[in-house]
Amino acid sequence: MARFRSLPAPHPIALALLALAASGACGRQTPAPAAPPAPRELVSSIRAEPRGFNRYTGRDSVTETITHLTQARLVRIDRRTQELEPWLAESWSASPNGLEWTLKLRQGVTFSDGQPFTSADVLFSFRAVYDPGVASPIGEAMRVGGKPLAVTAPDPSTVVIRFPSPFGPGIRLLDNLPILARHKLEAALDSGTFAEAWSGSTPVSDIVGLGPFVIERYEPGQRLVFARNPRYWRWDESGKRLPALDRLTLEIVPDQNAELLRLQAGQIDFTQTEVRPEDYATLKAAADAGRITLVDLGVGLDADSFWINLRPGANQARPWLHRVELRRAIAHAVDRQAFADTVFLGAATPVDGALITPGNSRWYATDLPRHPYDPAAAAALLESIGLVDRDGDGVREDGHGADASFTVLTMKGNSLLERGAAFVRDALGAIGLRVDVAPLEVGALIDRIERGDYEAVYFRFLTTDLDPALNMDLWLSSGGAHVWNPLQRTPATDWEREIDRLMHQQAATLDHAKRKALFDQVQRIFAEHVPVLQFAAPRIYVALSTRVANATPALLRPAVVLWNPDRLDVREGKRASR
Amino acid sequence: MRHVSARAIGIGLLVLLCAVALAAPVLAPNDPGTSFRDRAFAPPMLPRIVAADGSWHAPFVYPLRLADRLEQRYEEDRSRRLPLSFFACGRFVCLEDERDGPWLPLGADAAGRDVLARLLFGARTSLGLALAASLAAILLGVAAGSIAGYAGGPADEILMRVAEFALVLPAVYVVLALRSVLPLVLTPWTTFSLMTGIFALVGWPWVARAVRGTIAAEASRDYAVAARSLGAGPARVLFVHLLPACRNLVATHAVLLVPGFVLSEATLSYLGLGFPDTVPSWGSMLQDAANVNVLSRFPWMLLPAAAIFLVTLAVNLSLGRQARPVPAPAQIAAGGDPAAGRIGA
Repeated sequence: MARFRSLPAPHPIALALLALAASGACGRQTPAPAAPPAPRELVSSIRAEPRGFNRYTGRDSVTETITHLTQARLVRIDRRTQELEPWLAESWSASPNGLEWTLKLRQGVTFSDGQPFTSADVLFSFRAVYDPGVASPIGEAMRVGGKPLAVTAPDPSTVVIRFPSPFGPGIRLLDNLPILARHKLEAALDSGTFAEAWSGSTPVSDIVGLGPFVIERYEPGQRLVFARNPRYWRWDESGKRLPALDRLTLEIVPDQNAELLRLQAGQIDFTQTEVRPEDYATLKAAADAGRITLVDLGVGLDADSFWINLRPGANQARPWLHRVELRRAIAHAVDRQAFADTVFLGAATPVDGALITPGNSRWYATDLPRHPYDPAAAAALLESIGLVDRDGDGVREDGHGADASFTVLTMKGNSLLERGAAFVRDALGAIGLRVDVAPLEVGALIDRIERGDYEAVYFRFLTTDLDPALNMDLWLSSGGAHVWNPLQRTPATDWEREIDRLMHQQAATLDHAKRKALFDQVQRIFAEHVPVLQFAAPRIYVALSTRVANATPALLRPAVVLWNPDRLDVREGKRASR
Repeated sequence: MRHVSARAIGIGLLVLLCAVALAAPVLAPNDPGTSFRDRAFAPPMLPRIVAADGSWHAPFVYPLRLADRLEQRYEEDRSRRLPLSFFACGRFVCLEDERDGPWLPLGADAAGRDVLARLLFGARTSLGLALAASLAAILLGVAAGSIAGYAGGPADEILMRVAEFALVLPAVYVVLALRSVLPLVLTPWTTFSLMTGIFALVGWPWVARAVRGTIAAEASRDYAVAARSLGAGPARVLFVHLLPACRNLVATHAVLLVPGFVLSEATLSYLGLGFPDTVPSWGSMLQDAANVNVLSRFPWMLLPAAAIFLVTLAVNLSLGRQARPVPAPAQIAAGGDPAAGRIGA
């Protein structure tokens, strides 16, 4: 072991000789050693601590974002074009009936720790995602008609996937499945400790993957630092191994205002969230000054949604809350253009449909029943279900003389949701419905939604995939995300039964035009019964510092920028280290 | 003489603030709950008497035009003047012609609501709450402190331990726990009562500890001993002789509690125990300003803070010398920090 010890005091003559030697050395014209190039490094932010590093057990968006950096899939959906592209599988072919798919894996790919990637890792990943003990949040998305895919591996570089029934999206669903390292996690899966594997306390050196980055450092409450994976398997067009960045840091900044300030100050290069309308002007000024690039991604995929609790046992004292006439009256009572102007400061498009916004042009239906702003029609609908202002106090009463009132829960601290809920409250107040808005912390709000302990909610769904067949849990009456009345054993209404039938049929159809026609019918039924109301879809802007090169932001959240991390780079001339 | 004039100014200011709060329905040019669609973060439309060309006119404003909704840019149309009318529309002053939009003398908030109207109506809520809560805290504190200081012994021990327990309670968490067992939606009156009670419970120990120290010290002084020797009962000694010695102390606490409670209302509003945004209050208005970006671009959102400053100044001045007591040993021993009566930051 090397030890340090105190040195004896130098002799004065020795010092003079050293000084002479040094001056002679300085006099020679030796070229100065070239300074190492500044690392290519970008800094982004996340709003919450990661709950772990295992997407198979982590439901949070931070874990999903980290997975885009550290893991890879068999195939990938290009978030901009929605086209499927080869990833770990370099090619594939399907049987004529579309039930059996054969995927050829890339040769020579290794995990970040040097272990080779083979079809055994794919088999292991499928085993893990379907393991009942793991109860993976992505397990549902990896089933077709509630049944798992059958996966075999004839050789180390071939995987055969058999679907239990025809499935319209085909192997697009594989985009959900990051391929895990069998050699690292098999023991945990066998011993039943997979759910705890790769948690926040796991040493980051144990976390390996096929993604462009590896976790270099995790400072809880502060940041995650990712270093380039030197064994990453992709090269750019010039033959240089990707990723382009040497390092990527994710600062943990829980507050969106602080995040904005850091972006303005140049401390972070981009965020994971879109620009709020009220921040647009500030960022526009920064963009005009050349410090920031504002990217307009167009109409968003998600509009904030209003729904009433339609579970059978809910709102028993006020049965009129279950009436479709009430929902239609609410749809008529809100001036959607005014909503877009007030809530989103004009950066939104009025929507009146079935959860599919114009941002999802592939599936958006244009010829649906609409509910134009018409307070008189809204009033007539309310009167048709016995809600009349009998005492002239401006608030309608039901048949028992009780005020027609209900409470809308929304998320505290989200200015758009709070403003939107207030707008709806005022609009409904104008037609004689008394609405109280109760903003709750997001955890409390989700807890109440899951327990069904609410009257109405104004909140936001996040679209996880543009293809409706990959969002079946929202559309099917048995789905967990069928928010107004989830997890039904049998459809509670005829129209939900019909939607179930059409959704199963369209998911099992291979021809896109036929699928679209079937899904249009679903949207039409939905728009007639309006179990969820939407009023405006925001226009999405993303702010990036001008240091960022090769960014390809896309609408699908959560990894708006980081879905494509291996090509991200620092613009030439702006590589000064921080 | 200087003290007298400062005190007069303070009292005058307080009276003015209270009068303004009472006259809010007449003074406010708009309804505080009305959102004007094209006026989100609209700048103040200050009244003028000199036009852009230098000519003099009766009070007027220039109409405002929304230049860019997303950038929240507004432009004054200086080609037209909109005269102001006094006592003509059921209000003190309003625009003669509102076809070009409402008059927003102090600008608008994020929802396009009149900041002046909300400030005036908010004064009723915030001042009423702060004054009621301060009064309750002082009454409770003086009662508990007097008994503890004068009686001593077990009564002193029990009351001071209770006060210490109240002091070390993490108020924010207690409020959160309390909120979780209450109905989701509370009426404004219930909210007012609840907040008054919470503030009183948080504020009384500071007053009680300070009063107890003073009473205990004064009770052993010659004049108090003489009063007792001459047959004065405990109530007479307490109310006639000892409590007047606490006047300055109580005044100091009042000065600190009132603005502290106004700010506490803002904190509780954020936690969900405050007033809903349909009830304007200075605290809930300040919540809208809790964004540096908003603050730098729309400084009128900070006007509630200016109002709180005015209240503090007025209370300070109106109490004159009483608000600046010479610290007595008993007070120092009590270690009172009435500002800590505030909940949260």
